[in-house]
Amino acid sequence: MSRISVILRLAGLDAWRLIRGQRMMVMFPLILLFITGACWGFADPRIELPGNIPTDDPAVVLYLASAFVLFSSTLGVVLLGFDAVSRRRMTGELAIDFCQPMRRDDLALAQLLGVWAAACAPTAIATGLGIIAIHSQMGEMPAVADIAVFTLATGLLLWWYTNLQMLASSWARDLGSSVSLGVGTWMLFTMIWLLVTAIVATTMGVDATDTSSAAFDAVSERVDLFSPNGLYQLLLETRLPGDAAPSVSGGLLAMSTAVWTLGPTVAFLSRMRSIRP
Amino acid sequence: MLEFIDVTHLHKVASPRLTNPFAVRSGEGVRGIHLTLEPGRILGLVGPNGAGKTTLLHLLAGLLKPDLGTIERVDDAIGLMPERVAWPGPGTPSEVMRRLCTMRELPSNIGEEMLSTVGLSKRMHDDLSTLSQGMKQRLSLAASLLGNPSILLLDEPMNGLDPVAQSAFRSLLRQLADQGTSIVVSSHNLNELERFVDEICVMHRGRIVAKGDVMEVGRRVGVDEKLLVEGRGEVDLDALARWNPIYAATRGEGWQLTLESGEETPWENAEMQSLLTGLGSATVVQIERAGHDLESILEAVTGTATSFGLLDGGEEE
Repeated sequence: MSRISVILRLAGLDAWRLIRGQRMMVMFPLILLFITGACWGFADPRIELPGNIPTDDPAVVLYLASAFVLFSSTLGVVLLGFDAVSRRRMTGELAIDFCQPMRRDDLALAQLLGVWAAACAPTAIATGLGIIAIHSQMGEMPAVADIAVFTLATGLLLWWYTNLQMLASSWARDLGSSVSLGVGTWMLFTMIWLLVTAIVATTMGVDATDTSSAAFDAVSERVDLFSPNGLYQLLLETRLPGDAAPSVSGGLLAMSTAVWTLGPTVAFLSRMRSIRP
Repeated sequence: MLEFIDVTHLHKVASPRLTNPFAVRSGEGVRGIHLTLEPGRILGLVGPNGAGKTTLLHLLAGLLKPDLGTIERVDDAIGLMPERVAWPGPGTPSEVMRRLCTMRELPSNIGEEMLSTVGLSKRMHDDLSTLSQGMKQRLSLAASLLGNPSILLLDEPMNGLDPVAQSAFRSLLRQLADQGTSIVVSSHNLNELERFVDEICVMHRGRIVAKGDVMEVGRRVGVDEKLLVEGRGEVDLDALARWNPIYAATRGEGWQLTLESGEETPWENAEMQSLLTGLGSATVVQIERAGHDLESILEAVTGTATSFGLLDGGEEE
């Protein structure tokens, strides 16, 4: 067997174990309700959103549903990944893992892929059902390119969160620290990033009380490059027409995506090389 | 074969300061370890809590790197059975072994064979949460045996095992040793340990303070051998007080004595016979020398005390 096939097989076994776990029983209905429900609701022809946001385009409906991906699927990653390393470390399983003739990098990558695949599975099912719901409500489906960008961006978002969770889990020495670090990371990017944006805007002399101004929008987009949630939204916005498309350059978006995709992964692999079981 | 030459490893302990909340300092660990594991030998690792046994096992397993010194490995095939692996699940023993087989690139039926070897074949598809501590120990043992390791490291392997399983476990270890496997067993169960190890390594405060077979180490650390005497007839037990009997009892017409052998203790049957006869109308039936027991050796090395304060090597340094 090649190294890659060993990594993939191990990831598959880990993912399957997580998918059958109790946490998934709690998570899956929530993700289904959030994502599929959002697609169903936003695709309803009778819906009127504040700010006259149009919902007559399936691509826009999918974009609006992404807000619920940010709440539910990322929380799913937290639930699956917050103790992925710390628990194995505490129970002694990590010591046994490290005694196997497998490189720690490969083992770490397999663990990452396992948690990521387990988090992707319910999101993919909920998104698939959501697209069917959009078709059922609107009589048409989002374009293949829109679905592809949504799927890719969502996959990347979950990868970024998986990395952050695993990194936090590898630092934690007990269950309480695991929960604190995991949920804390999620809350920072999901709940209080707007506060960070407002502070940065104010520091730069931009009025943070007028969030609809072009100046605040420009600052917000640049600050969003440093947040997985913000970057996810920016990637999805590239498919939106006219003014709704992001003003940051494609190069900056690509660079930020590459940094978020590779940076935490490299950090996690490095951490696993030095961790003491 | 595995050889440690003057190996030192100190744990990094968090020592936060106002200027650096992530500061660490060197804590306990092991120092100046010289140790060679030879094929086919079972080495018992003994010492009080905090002596550095688990740290040494982790160094042997390659999980920790030495700060100083050299480790020479001829073979990388090492199996480790950590102390009390919790195996929380979800999953089954069969899935655990399949995962480890995948990591070792072995067919999954090898894992199931190992489960049979440790007597878990009937429970291999049960949920891990339903296994008793003893069964989880067996699973840990099966995991450590995977891939036929040439060096097997076992940390408190007898915990939770019933007497029948302990006996089977001892036989298995002897069988593996006879096949050339080097085995290191760390255990607090000294009575159990001295039944099957070839030699012992006594650790205290991170150092190896004695190594060799139990008798040799006992002699080196100055633990007296014991004399077991059985006889019949009348004997004045009070008069034996000058030999510091550890145990003296009468049973029907017979009696039993356990003496700590010292320079003044009579060793020969005839000598004992005459001395005891002088005390009453006793007849010595049997005199037997008992070897040094591990408990006495450990007490001798760690301060001849059974109080927690003196045995706790980790607190004092």
